[in-house]
Amino acid sequence: MGFLEWLQDTWVGHLVAESLWGYPLFETIHSIGMAMLIGSLGLINLRVLGFKPDLPLLGTRELLPLAWIGFTLNAISGSLLFTSDAVYFFSSYTFRIKMVLIVLGGINAAILGRRVFSDAAAAGAPAPAAPSTKWIAASSLVFWFGAVCAGRLIAYTP
Amino acid sequence: MEFLVWLENTWIANAIRTIPWLYPTFETGHYIGLSLLVGGIMLIDLRVLGFGRSLPLKSMIGLLPFVWAGFLINVFTGSMLFIYGATGFGTNPAFLVKMTFMVIAGLNALAFDLAVRRSGGTWVVAGTPPTLVKGFATASLVFWLCVVTTGRWMAYI
Repeated sequence: MGFLEWLQDTWVGHLVAESLWGYPLFETIHSIGMAMLIGSLGLINLRVLGFKPDLPLLGTRELLPLAWIGFTLNAISGSLLFTSDAVYFFSSYTFRIKMVLIVLGGINAAILGRRVFSDAAAAGAPAPAAPSTKWIAASSLVFWFGAVCAGRLIAYTP
Repeated sequence: MEFLVWLENTWIANAIRTIPWLYPTFETGHYIGLSLLVGGIMLIDLRVLGFGRSLPLKSMIGLLPFVWAGFLINVFTGSMLFIYGATGFGTNPAFLVKMTFMVIAGLNALAFDLAVRRSGGTWVVAGTPPTLVKGFATASLVFWLCVVTTGRWMAYI
């Protein structure tokens, strides 16, 4: 617990928690980053699942930078929000579930990227994705939308 | 104000107050709708502005049903949240600014849609949107980000 107490007692922790604009500003950035991340990653996953077949599958690789920008915005804004009340957030089960879902979503995205966007896959360019790949895409949607839900519910749960 | 008081005392508002988890559920739904609505619009606008050129413009404009789904989810969940706290939200300056931005963003989306229809599909298929349409796309990004920002700020004003 020593580290968490130190963290929320740093000037950054105090700034986010006590300034008039700190918490709402980073929450706003967190919402915008969420829309970028879920929007782009969600579309890639839906495409792998067979929706929007008029979008070239390999072309959706161009959405990855947007997903990364969204992820980075949220890693930074999320860390700052965490800093404002580190002991509370760390002890929240919903927060822990959210973190697990993000890790699972990240691993999932890495596996999906290797399967769908790797050069070998590009050369072969299989038209419909393999069933196992579709399962990865479907679980990715569950993990990321689950993370959104858990994130919102932190405020209402122990 | 009388209307807001009445709204806050309807059976719907009372149900949201008494049934556990209803308010957080609507709030969570509002965030999922936000992801679909703003996520989808952002992708379309960025494509119009030239990002992701290997994705056909026509197909990206074809994402509009997802945007509409997100919009409808948020009109419903947002109305429920509003009814619950009508007197507070209805007089909240951030809420009024948010609604103003929504109307402007909506009119801007109509202008975009009109430009797509008027073109007869020529620049849509060719993937070469005219400057005016790029202007609509830029304005759309700005207005929707303002909607999200003012919406989030409602809790602090």
